[in-house]
Amino acid sequence: MNRLGITAPSGVADNTLGLSWHDSTWIPILNTTNVMEYFSQASNPFFDRTCNNEIVKMQRLNPDQLLNMSGLEYALLHVQEPILYVIRKQHRHSPQQVTPLAEYYIIAGIVYQAPDLASVLNSRLLSAVYHIQSSFEEAFNFSRYHPSKGYYWDFKSQKGAEKIKTVEKEKPKEESSSLFQRQRVDMLLGELIKKFPLPAIPSQVKPTNPAPVKTEAENGVQENKEKVEVKQEAKVKPPPEKKPRLN
Amino acid sequence: MENKLKRYEKIAFLGEGQFATVFKARDVETENIVAVKKIKLGSRVEAQDGINRTALREIKLLQELHHENLIGLLDVFGHMSNVSLVFDFMDTDLEVVIKDNTIILTTANIKSYTLQTLKGLEYLHLNWILHRDLKPNNLLVNDKGVLKIGDFGLAKMFGSPNRVNTHQVVTRWYRAPELLFGAKQYGTCIDIWAVGCILAELLLRVPLFPGESDLDQLTKIFDVFGNPTEENWPGIKTLSDFIDFKPLPAIPLKSIFTAAGDDLLELISSMLVLNPMARKTCRECLKMPFFSNKPAPTIGSKLPLPQNIRKVADIERQSLKRKLLDAAEGGSLSKRLFI
Repeated sequence: MNRLGITAPSGVADNTLGLSWHDSTWIPILNTTNVMEYFSQASNPFFDRTCNNEIVKMQRLNPDQLLNMSGLEYALLHVQEPILYVIRKQHRHSPQQVTPLAEYYIIAGIVYQAPDLASVLNSRLLSAVYHIQSSFEEAFNFSRYHPSKGYYWDFKSQKGAEKIKTVEKEKPKEESSSLFQRQRVDMLLGELIKKFPLPAIPSQVKPTNPAPVKTEAENGVQENKEKVEVKQEAKVKPPPEKKPRLN
Repeated sequence: MENKLKRYEKIAFLGEGQFATVFKARDVETENIVAVKKIKLGSRVEAQDGINRTALREIKLLQELHHENLIGLLDVFGHMSNVSLVFDFMDTDLEVVIKDNTIILTTANIKSYTLQTLKGLEYLHLNWILHRDLKPNNLLVNDKGVLKIGDFGLAKMFGSPNRVNTHQVVTRWYRAPELLFGAKQYGTCIDIWAVGCILAELLLRVPLFPGESDLDQLTKIFDVFGNPTEENWPGIKTLSDFIDFKPLPAIPLKSIFTAAGDDLLELISSMLVLNPMARKTCRECLKMPFFSNKPAPTIGSKLPLPQNIRKVADIERQSLKRKLLDAAEGGSLSKRLFI
């Protein structure tokens, strides 16, 4: 039964954000026309089989009837052949009105739930606070007190040099990404920019070639973001790596 | 007798069956729309008791039965050698609803239909009556979304020990396995099996077991549930028409009713049980979580109607709307005049 794969971290059964699902027999043949069928497999934990899509299928009705129903449905939102599909779970109130509930992305055949902003912020804040706390604990180990000197730092007695080496080793690994990945990300960002154009682009740049400029601009932003993140990580990374050795 | 004839004004011809002709009529006294079923005289043999047997059953039983979900017998009158029964007028039936694929049957709709059927049937069973011919065609629905069980031509009192009944009852697709095996003594469980089949048909929009012969019917049933054995159905081999089938595996209901929730599957699997003794009664079914869980059953006025009836209703509503609008305009006009 290696064909089906559901991975879930233990202890978070109710949190679907930590889940992924795939069916390896489907992965080579996935395309725009069958991706919804793939997603509606009974073993997919993200798929609620009481949804309208399944009712229409079971009752052998015309799929266009979905628009006239109210309730839970899944819709293919975005396709980026051959690698990425985005499916939205939504509650339909009327043919015109829907409320999005969740989004799922299928990347290289593996299905994940896209996290909501609150969960992302929550998780980032939690890890930031955790790292800050461990850095305090770490720093506390190096502080010394002597009646004549008062408080002072003592880094020599520990194996500080080794730690720095390991940090340097780790860094390049994180930054590496394949050409393919970068191209895809650029494409995605380009799509995003088309949907939400940046307001402050100098008018002189526009006439030359609008689309690439936009992606570049977005890349710039993205790079900045990455830098910020890298910086943060550079600041906070060392302590947890040191920790196991210290204890 | 003469005034009875005048009381019901024929509006339209509704249909003709083996035993009767049905007309839509207006009750002049109450202005209600009713259905008048004129019983055919039938052959000499059929008429030797004086009146057609199915009509006699309907008259006998329905006069004493009064329930929201059972067809109401309003009046009976005779003219010359004919007998006519006057019933509540019903716009359509579940067979039409199931076959109209512009209609979507949501879980809430299905819950409403099943709930009403079981309520009516529970009342019947509590009064020691078997319907013996439940099928979508006999579950009548009116434009207010009220479902009534109709056609009591095969209904019969049950409960006398040693009384032998015929097993040639119930339209084949909805016939329980014990009847197909020739059981002469049976109870409420045969109606429950039929309701289970109807529920399945509401979900799938096609009959669950469309058998072409009695034998084929059993094969279709066992294809789904596996064949019965002495273990899961003690005493099965004593039934007069019992035949052994080659062993078949049961298939999970989940793979047939792919969009059904677990509570609904539980209801289906407690109505469609091969062993009649293990089938739940109406009351037990009504107490199952499916009926108390969300979504709530659709209220009558929101239940879907077939296309032809919907159109008529729309036209009536529109004309009513127009009348209201006209009235409103008239009102504003008169106001203006006053100013």
